[in-house]
Amino acid sequence: MAHSSLGIILFRIIVLTLAIAAWQFAPFGRGMELWVSRPFLILARLWEWVDDGSLWPHLFATGSEMIIGYLLGCASAIWLGLVLGMLPKLNRVLAPFLAAFYAMPKIALAPLFVIFFGIGLESKVALVWITVFFLVFNNTLDGVRDVDRDLIQVLRIMGARRSEIVRKILLPSAAPWIFTGMRIAVRYAFTSALLAELMAANRGLGFLIEYHSGSFDTTGAYAAILVIVILSVGITEILSRIENSAGRGR
Amino acid sequence: MSSSSPKISFEGASKQFDVRGNSTLALQPISFDVKKEEFVALVGPSGCGKSTVLNLISGLFQPTEGKVFYDGELIRNLNRRVGYMTQKDTVLPWRKTAENVRIALELKCRNVGRKEAAERTAQMIDLVGLKGFEKHYPGELSGGMRKRVALARTLIYEPETLLMDEPFGALDAQLRLIMLDQLQKLTSQRRMTVVFVTHDLAEAITLADRVIVLSARPGRIRSITEITLPRPRDVFKVRFSEAFATLHETLWDELKDEVVKGTDV
Amino acid sequence: MTIHQPTTEAFQQSQSKHRRANDGVAATQVLLAAALLAIWETAGRYLNSSWISRPSKVAEQIWTWIQGDLLTHIAVTGSEMLIGLSIGISLGVISGILLGRSGLLAIVMRPIVVTLYSVPMVSLAPLFIMFFGVDMMPKIVLVSIVVFFLIFFNTFAGVSKVDNDLVAVIELMGASPREQFQKIIFPSCMSWIMAGIKIALPYALVAAVTGEMIASRQGLGSIITRAASRFDMTALYAVLLILMVMGLLVSEFASRLEKWVLRWRGADE
Repeated sequence: MAHSSLGIILFRIIVLTLAIAAWQFAPFGRGMELWVSRPFLILARLWEWVDDGSLWPHLFATGSEMIIGYLLGCASAIWLGLVLGMLPKLNRVLAPFLAAFYAMPKIALAPLFVIFFGIGLESKVALVWITVFFLVFNNTLDGVRDVDRDLIQVLRIMGARRSEIVRKILLPSAAPWIFTGMRIAVRYAFTSALLAELMAANRGLGFLIEYHSGSFDTTGAYAAILVIVILSVGITEILSRIENSAGRGR
Repeated sequence: MSSSSPKISFEGASKQFDVRGNSTLALQPISFDVKKEEFVALVGPSGCGKSTVLNLISGLFQPTEGKVFYDGELIRNLNRRVGYMTQKDTVLPWRKTAENVRIALELKCRNVGRKEAAERTAQMIDLVGLKGFEKHYPGELSGGMRKRVALARTLIYEPETLLMDEPFGALDAQLRLIMLDQLQKLTSQRRMTVVFVTHDLAEAITLADRVIVLSARPGRIRSITEITLPRPRDVFKVRFSEAFATLHETLWDELKDEVVKGTDV
Repeated sequence: MTIHQPTTEAFQQSQSKHRRANDGVAATQVLLAAALLAIWETAGRYLNSSWISRPSKVAEQIWTWIQGDLLTHIAVTGSEMLIGLSIGISLGVISGILLGRSGLLAIVMRPIVVTLYSVPMVSLAPLFIMFFGVDMMPKIVLVSIVVFFLIFFNTFAGVSKVDNDLVAVIELMGASPREQFQKIIFPSCMSWIMAGIKIALPYALVAAVTGEMIASRQGLGSIITRAASRFDMTALYAVLLILMVMGLLVSEFASRLEKWVLRWRGADE
């Protein structure tokens, strides 16, 4: 078993190396090279960015948009989800309105946010917030709805206050749903931050892609994409490790 | 009468499972024969390996030790000459009843025309008492009804050997007797060899030519008893005969013994 | 990696329980909507600010568009979606099945596919526009890729989760490998494929609109960018409304499609 998995890893490394080598050394002309670029050129450009420090403000911008939007989105979604979850009648009334908003491609709101909040951080945070909100909100609602109503009744009869019911029953039993939503939302936070930057920005990884693509600087665009790929893979890895350890704790 | 070479033959066949470093012996080495056109019932406590025996005959499992023969040949891969009605519900949920029943006839190896397939499907559905449910999906049927669909599906292409694993457990007493009757008629009419696993001793004695009692896990053959009740048997009345009662008592003592042993462990 | 699992019967049952809404709810909703519209209209008239606009102006705008070329724009976005969906779904299903059935290919390709999947494809839209120009092509490519990944993963998961006992039953009956695939494996992963399609449909809309918003002459996304650049709030609200309706239609269609294809998954008591 171990022998063959080592073989597989070796095989993958070989294939990868060959592919990159082919990309680097294939004899295509300057025209093609302008479109496809070369690995070394891309890495050189990336190094340039790291070396002269120009990468970090962009990274920081995207990162902070993500994190702030994510936190705001989760907090508001969990809160509203719990509230509406405990008021099923209100929830039913509001449901179609929320569904309508959920169905709309949120990206379309990006220009609206830019008009209202300007080209800076706020408009991106707004988009991330609203994207994360809907996801986590739906999950929270599902989690709350999943709770055994009878159990709540019993505790209410025993004289528990609303805050106690929330703390002792609602939150713990809705927790797995909420956490699932929060995990899925991380990816969406990343995506919406990038998309918001694509629309109108002067900073961030999305901005980098748009800027370099717009000026037909393929090497630059690819370098930006490389950063995004590294970040994406990193995020996915971290998330799956969290998921695994959470599963094990069950 | 049937010729002398057996249809199915077990020679010291055993089965051991190795899962993640733990090995379980499901079946101790057993040897027995099933004659052509014979109806053999396998009874025994839970976990004794009855289903394993069927899996060995069908070729789904290979024996750890020993050999299993079908028609004199070693069973090396899936044995397509048997029809296997498993304990697990394997009715296809996305097909309606009629579509499920006729699936064997759709296969190229059988070369059955559409009209004939439709006729035989209708016949089978009627036989198992599901007339009127042709267009129902399994999700709309009860467990017992799904079992009957599986039965019809297995019988429709008349395999020469039939393997059945507790097929009638989920049915109510009345329906069970009716199904036993149908099964008996069909299998003798079509001259099928049958290996029938059940925990219901009365069922076994009613239908079988011989009853094999398996011991508690890991299973080995405890006894093989010839059922000398005359054929054809009236499924509804045979259980009230004296001969039946004697057989039942003897076999029940053996079975009870094994069941108790099983629970002691 | 999120694989979107098929809905369970429990979920469907809870849905129908909630659908036992009485007319009281519907009436409240109508009242609420009317009230909100009324507030917006009066505020709009009173403040007369172009930032806020008002329902009547928005409706007027939509009407003007309908008489103009709105349908063309919708058709453009719609075609980008449809073509992209067709390509993405077919390629996704085929690859999912191929890799799902061939253990070797799956093991080799897996890290590549996982890496690619974790990258938000929609953010690469400017790249495609750079390659393919500003017409429908880059949007179609974008939609295809986004849809492909979704469907591929779901198909792959579906194929790997096929109940082997079902395959064994049919094999015993004498089915050839091709028949096993046709009659068991493929129908069996339909739940997963349909779950993927259900998610992919709204995604296709998002991808198409995103591409259009970055650079396009036609399509709903282009209307948004034009309106935004002119600070025409009325137009912006109007497009958002249209997109909301489209989004709802697409989701509803996707949901009904799934229910129809998987109609055997009825309520069982």
